[in-house]
Amino acid sequence: MRFLTAIAVFVLCEVAANAAPSPAGRWQGIVQIPGLPLHATIDLDQDRSGAWIGSIIVPELAIKNIALTGIALHVDTLTFAIKGVLAEQGEPPAAFEARLDSSDTMSGTFTQAGNHAPFALRRIGMAQVDLPARNTPVAKPMEGKWVGEYELAGYPRQVTVTFTNHGNDPASVEFVIVGKKVNNLPVDVVQRDGDFVRIESHEFGINWEGHLRGGELAGTYEQGPVELPLVLKRPQGESK
Amino acid sequence: MNPLPMIALALAAAAAQPAPVQPMFRGGPNHTGVQAGTAPRTFHRVRWTFPTGGRVVSSPVLLDGVIYFGSNDGNVYAVDADSGRQLWSHATGGPVAATPAVAGGVVYVGSYDGRFYALDTKSGATRWKFRTGGERRFEGKGLHGLQPRTQTIADDYDLFLSSPVVAGTTVYFGSGDGNVYALDTASGEPRWKFTTGDVVHASPALADGTVYVGSWDSFFYAIDAATGKERWRFHGGEDAIAHNQVGFQSSPAVVDGVVYTGCRDANLYALDAKTGVEKWKLYHNGSWVITSPAVADGQIYYATSDSAQYNVVDAATGKSLVQQQGNAWMFSSPAVAGDVVLIGAANGSLEARDRASGELLWEFQTEAAKQNAAWVLTARHTFNNSMAFRVQWQDARTSAVQRTFAIGSIFSSPLVAGGSVYFGSTDGNLYAVE
Repeated sequence: MRFLTAIAVFVLCEVAANAAPSPAGRWQGIVQIPGLPLHATIDLDQDRSGAWIGSIIVPELAIKNIALTGIALHVDTLTFAIKGVLAEQGEPPAAFEARLDSSDTMSGTFTQAGNHAPFALRRIGMAQVDLPARNTPVAKPMEGKWVGEYELAGYPRQVTVTFTNHGNDPASVEFVIVGKKVNNLPVDVVQRDGDFVRIESHEFGINWEGHLRGGELAGTYEQGPVELPLVLKRPQGESK
Repeated sequence: MNPLPMIALALAAAAAQPAPVQPMFRGGPNHTGVQAGTAPRTFHRVRWTFPTGGRVVSSPVLLDGVIYFGSNDGNVYAVDADSGRQLWSHATGGPVAATPAVAGGVVYVGSYDGRFYALDTKSGATRWKFRTGGERRFEGKGLHGLQPRTQTIADDYDLFLSSPVVAGTTVYFGSGDGNVYALDTASGEPRWKFTTGDVVHASPALADGTVYVGSWDSFFYAIDAATGKERWRFHGGEDAIAHNQVGFQSSPAVVDGVVYTGCRDANLYALDAKTGVEKWKLYHNGSWVITSPAVADGQIYYATSDSAQYNVVDAATGKSLVQQQGNAWMFSSPAVAGDVVLIGAANGSLEARDRASGELLWEFQTEAAKQNAAWVLTARHTFNNSMAFRVQWQDARTSAVQRTFAIGSIFSSPLVAGGSVYFGSTDGNLYAVE
């Protein structure tokens, strides 16, 4: 009997020892890039469905509350990536791979543009995940393809925006700007309020907002400090 | 067979070759960029490095076995080409971001202190100094789309000062005060000055009694070399919003009655040297053409900035002959040396390309670039733009640019002599490689 008790105690201890600590919380530490240490604040939490959500702050790179993506926990190994910044178009996202060393520390490797750097984070409190703005469907008359043109830095850029509704779920948006090259901008935000609609591409730092009036989307193109009028119309021969 | 006669013949042939001469930027007054020497087709070693206290964006010139160049540490240097030993240095009051010209025992060069210097080639002693209206970088409100939009911002990429050209008893150069100057080589007295609307940091070329140079005011000028009177002007692109696609930073080459020049409006222009009429232009999708084109045997060699394209085009038609994708922006002006073209890149690499095909023959990378501090580069040696320039505010942008240049960018135009290649780097070194 004493033997069985000993086995049970041993098994329980092993289970406890192998139970991965939860990564939920606010973590702070340094990514050791040579000559440019990055002070990272990472918030990790679970939503109502149990899925992991997160956001990151890195002041040295003007990154404030950018969403994390691909968050996965496998035993004590945690992986996640930064959504929409620190990666050129077509390149894999900047990513973290961490081992939860204890209940309050994690360490691992940060990868960006093929470069690798070690990092170490310490849990300092509760998570304060900055949830992205809630996206919405667009008004029915806004659905479909719109085209426009603006001139920046001496040459014209052609813009195509295509809104597609999905019932009550957020609309999906194709946002293409053809200038030096064809830029298919990932859209992070699409929000409609009455005849007003705004779209944002965080990776490119480009936004457009406007009102649906007289069959046109009359609005403004924003890129950093640059604001230019940009009217979107239906392509010739298309009413929608 | 007795080898001695063969050796004697070879020695005699070598002795008969004229000593390499590269006395001014782009080789001579018309700026062909063609070098007398033959460049190595394979990289062997670094022969020597000469450290200075600042970035070296100046290009080395060579006369009688002595290399002359400037450094942003404020000095003009004379260095023995064989040993890399310093012969003399002359301190100016500001960065020497121009390439000297050497003629008649005198080194001519400008400094950011707003003075233009004539120095003795043997000792570095001052022959005379001339004070311009003062140097400054090109600037614009909200330059390159930076914030604050209403504040005037100086251009971090206005790297070079105008390099002088000497012909007869006159030395010509441009200035940040907007003027092109013609000075008497003996006294430094001005013969004339020609006023443009903005900074002149391109280097004037001279051919058939005409001085050719572009300004940041968006115009390219042909000026009578004797009188300073305007012969014609050509209008390049404008950019009223971001001031990004405007201005002639490239220095022209003049060959067979045609002026070839790059422009920040992303064009390479071919202009009739007599009339200024455009013969052809090539647009590069918004990418600056900062390099000064080299012209050899009816072909133009040049590169672009952020699109990092190495190009060879037909001089008569502008038709593309060779296009190779580089890794990083190229501001360094290419040097044609035998069957090799050499060009520096902003990622800290010197590239040697086959003249016919444009294929990369060899590449030298500075130690700073290999260390890749702050991850300025990706693992593929391209610029890590998504990280390095994740800023919009001017102060942060300037810091990012400084970090970028700290990897040893090569903006200097290479010099080829005696089988060696000489060039400067923003890591502060002048390199001699072979």
